[in-house]
Amino acid sequence: MLSVSLYIIVCSARNRMRKRLARLRQPRYLAGALAGIAYIYFSFFARGVQVQRATQARGRGGRQAAAVLNLGARLAIIGPAITGVGLLALSAVAWVLPFDSGLLDFSEAEVQMLVPAPVTRRQLLMYRLIRSQVGILFGAVVAALVFSTTSGYSRVRTALAMWVLILAMKVYFTAVTLVRARLASAEGRARRMLWAPVLLTAAAAAVLVRGLMAEFVGRPIAGFGDVLNRVRAVTTTGPARVWMWPFVALARPLFETAMVPYLMAMATSVAVLVALTVWALESHHALQDAVADVTARRAAASQSSRSAYRTGFVRWRLAPAGRPEPAFMWKAALQTFRVVDRRSLVRLLILVGTLVFMAVTVGRRNGIAAGLGTLTVIGALFTILMAPQILRVDLRQDLRHLEVLKTWPVKASAVIRGQLLWPGVFLSVMSWILIGLAVLLSATVAPGMFFSGVRVEWRLWASLAAVIAAPALVFGQLMIHNGVALLFPAWIQTGKQRSRGLDAMGQRLIMLGGTWLALAIMAVPGTLAGGLLWFAFQRFIGPAALVLAALVGTMILGIEVLLGSEALGPIYEKLDVLAVERADD
Amino acid sequence: MALSVEHFTRTYGALTAVDDLSFEVASGEIVGLIGPNGAGKTTTLRSLAGILRPTSGRVTVDGFDLVEAPLEAKRRLAFMPDEPHLFEYLTVEEHLRLMARLYSVEDFEQRAATLIDELELKGKERSLPGELSRGMRQKVIIACGLVRNATTLLFDEPLTGLDPLGIRRMRETIVSRARAGAAILLSSHLLHLVQEVCTRVIIMDHGRKIADGTCAELASRVDLAAAGSSLEQIFLHVTGHGVSAPPGDPAEPA
Repeated sequence: MLSVSLYIIVCSARNRMRKRLARLRQPRYLAGALAGIAYIYFSFFARGVQVQRATQARGRGGRQAAAVLNLGARLAIIGPAITGVGLLALSAVAWVLPFDSGLLDFSEAEVQMLVPAPVTRRQLLMYRLIRSQVGILFGAVVAALVFSTTSGYSRVRTALAMWVLILAMKVYFTAVTLVRARLASAEGRARRMLWAPVLLTAAAAAVLVRGLMAEFVGRPIAGFGDVLNRVRAVTTTGPARVWMWPFVALARPLFETAMVPYLMAMATSVAVLVALTVWALESHHALQDAVADVTARRAAASQSSRSAYRTGFVRWRLAPAGRPEPAFMWKAALQTFRVVDRRSLVRLLILVGTLVFMAVTVGRRNGIAAGLGTLTVIGALFTILMAPQILRVDLRQDLRHLEVLKTWPVKASAVIRGQLLWPGVFLSVMSWILIGLAVLLSATVAPGMFFSGVRVEWRLWASLAAVIAAPALVFGQLMIHNGVALLFPAWIQTGKQRSRGLDAMGQRLIMLGGTWLALAIMAVPGTLAGGLLWFAFQRFIGPAALVLAALVGTMILGIEVLLGSEALGPIYEKLDVLAVERADD
Repeated sequence: MALSVEHFTRTYGALTAVDDLSFEVASGEIVGLIGPNGAGKTTTLRSLAGILRPTSGRVTVDGFDLVEAPLEAKRRLAFMPDEPHLFEYLTVEEHLRLMARLYSVEDFEQRAATLIDELELKGKERSLPGELSRGMRQKVIIACGLVRNATTLLFDEPLTGLDPLGIRRMRETIVSRARAGAAILLSSHLLHLVQEVCTRVIIMDHGRKIADGTCAELASRVDLAAAGSSLEQIFLHVTGHGVSAPPGDPAEPA
């Protein structure tokens, strides 16, 4: 089975790598990969070097160096105990609310080909364990890069410690799932053996809680540091020290800085991992039931996500004749409204209505109106600047239906415009509501709070200008996002799995920063024209010139969006359905 | 000619999936497209539907070039794929309504009602795809193809997932559309269906056309004389998997 496991791992990795490398032959994907590599370098490695230099510089400063050393020493003392307590808490909760470790989540192919194969349950478990190593190692390396900011050697140490810790927890959760599946059916000695780990975990938790109560009840707390010190004291003395040993042992390598103590800590950590693995492999009897249970849950989850749509909420009939763009809008609107639960929507509206009413009537003095007003402004900004990235009921989602779309006799530019319509309209209306609420609340606040210092006419004209400009900004971003979807279709997530790889990471960065950069560039002509109008007219018509500027700016950006949709048309025409990477649904 | 394919080639990188394929389908004709797995049938159908771009060659539908005048060509085409990809959030009726809008169907209400009856979708009009069986979803995708007045119909394994009654009805539907003047290209592994409903058969292997004609024409070919008269025997023979029909085989011509 070991050779089979290795064969599958090697072949999968090789084929995945081959596919991604082949994709890099296209310059656009290569650019994305380079952006991803640059991100990793500047975020992790370069940052590590910077921190190291800063530490060395501080080292010459004496007092600061001592403070850093103190912090490291304190972490080495407190860290294992605190992490151990967290691990014990997780381990205890796992018996009540089982976590999905992923080890029993056999893929459809594995269920169909490996489960019926003449291999033992232990071998199947071993296979899943080996198969999961690449993912766990990747997670450990990323965690080490993020959390460890010192030398490369320190990162390797942290990665190894993290690897053992994550693996141990995965194995533990798997064993818990297997034992739980058999607790009810086993009898006699087998049943007693199955209950043993449950009782051991409960006993460890009870001893810890008793120790903590003795330490904290009736004794005042001096601060956060005092809490940490007392928790550590509980876990390193008395009976709790014995019961907590495996949990602390798993955490200790993360906090050891010197070589010999680290190696010793790793040895005990690995010993705990081996014990857990033996326990999990010996709990194999319920493997089929557990796998069937996990598969059934996965199928149920998939079914529930498929049947998340409910009919009967919206009755918008599409007229059989007319331009194609509204048909796309109708389609996307139905999709949005069919996932919305009517009762939740009513509850939300009642909540918002009540809050606004309270703020307007009684919240003038106590700051509710100001607080809510600030929230509405943040909400409006979020809706205009961030939501177009999140609400993907456009081509980004419809790429999975590209085969259907391609057969329709609709001009490519009309497809793109149609795809932008619903999210654009929806987000614009949302932003208008939030801007309107902000204006309303700004009129009710006490002096000195939430824009109350700004004159009423300025507030009104500025909000009107924002209402005019919001759709242009939303549609501009949506066009950029859909353009990226057409140019880099392999980066777009079409199922539940996200696209992976360095180039995909680069894509997400490009999407975040690049969209705003592109929007800023797109907005230049409109801003210049609007700015000129502002300077020309504000001395004559005052703040009303803002509206004039917004109108012209919006018109120019709108024209750019229309031209953009025409420019993207040929790209859509040429887009090959095979360029879209199909993720699992 | 309703559908004309001239020197059509489609490659995937170094692999040539379809190589220099030429054929025509006239109005009222039902042409069966058969071949072993990987022969290039689905690639051909997907390219004819406008999903994949031909690497080279020319495809015209009622004289409209699929690459140069795609909208006019697509307006006359209906593609019924083997895998029913439906919008999970639209009901059966809304799928038909969307098709009507995109293909400018004027008498939609009447057509939709007739189709829903014909394909036994009555009572499912307001169901979402997630609430339908595989066979029902297949019927919806076929209904979407038939709701407009297409002159050329492309069927890829149209009987997949249908029950015996559904298979019979689908056969009748295909034949009736051809009688009404549609040009039909049908790909299927069910050779008895192809032999029964098709007026002509094209056999593909390794991306190339290796036989084209009626079953009788193929059976009378000199190089196929030893194959037998059934389409299955001819198919196995031309694809290099055939054995001579045993003496006394009822399928063997007297």
